[in-house]
Amino acid sequence: MASTAATRRARACAALLEQVHAITAQHGNTPTALHAIKLKLVGLAKKPGLFPEEDFAMPVAQGRFHPLLVEDNDGLGLYLTINLPGKEAAPHDHGIWCVNAAISGRERHVFYRRTDDGSVPGRAEVVITGEVLVQPGTGTAMSDHDIHSTEVLGTEPAIGLALYGYALARFPSVAFYHPALNSTRTSPSRRHAVPA
Amino acid sequence: MAPKPRQITIANTGQTIACLPSQTILHAALAAGIDYPYGCASGNCGTCVSQLDSGKIAMLARSDTSLSPDQAKAGRILACRAQPKSDVTLTWLGRGRR
Repeated sequence: MASTAATRRARACAALLEQVHAITAQHGNTPTALHAIKLKLVGLAKKPGLFPEEDFAMPVAQGRFHPLLVEDNDGLGLYLTINLPGKEAAPHDHGIWCVNAAISGRERHVFYRRTDDGSVPGRAEVVITGEVLVQPGTGTAMSDHDIHSTEVLGTEPAIGLALYGYALARFPSVAFYHPALNSTRTSPSRRHAVPA
Repeated sequence: MAPKPRQITIANTGQTIACLPSQTILHAALAAGIDYPYGCASGNCGTCVSQLDSGKIAMLARSDTSLSPDQAKAGRILACRAQPKSDVTLTWLGRGRR
């Protein structure tokens, strides 16, 4: 039998996505809309008792996604993420918008802007444009092609919510940027993958 | 005393390069001009998955999806997360292949 927390969580996640659809229907995926979505996600992350640690296995390695609600037909993907201290991701562009909110722990997001013209395959230059510390009560929002890196700070796992414009299994190509190498590499798009 | 560099042999190219214990094998290979396959270079995508043929390494933090427990048990590593603890020989497993 599902736990009370799981039932409440499922209801809360469904209600959130309903609100998100209402926001995007009115405003599209604009920065204004993403900011409003971020506030909703931060609100969900703050609800006590909805995300008890015992309901979510810790990573086998240092980072794990738990699907909370993944819509069919190219809909949204809402996940609980657990990243252990030291876990990082190089600067990358998901190709799709993303909103994060912290439940516990601290994760630094650094934002970048690409400065070259993209004319040389595999080469790229990026510069830092800002930084946000995502910790309980806060979040961050990124548009379709924003570039960010992440790093878990401190000694506690960073547990949070991540909402993407597409489910992870249906992601477009992700571009990774490596400032130390002035290089970029892309992952294959999953847009035309057969759903599992 | 400066840490002693380890000797890393990349079976695909037959080259042997030096890698500090604090450096990742991927970064040492790229710095040596080797066209080692990589994507995120931060333990998330699995593009640089390699077979550890001999030697010992330590792995930096990575995501669960980048390398399964079965792969790790079979001696597969991520070059972008692997720091050498001894001289090492490894083989990259191809672009996109695991």
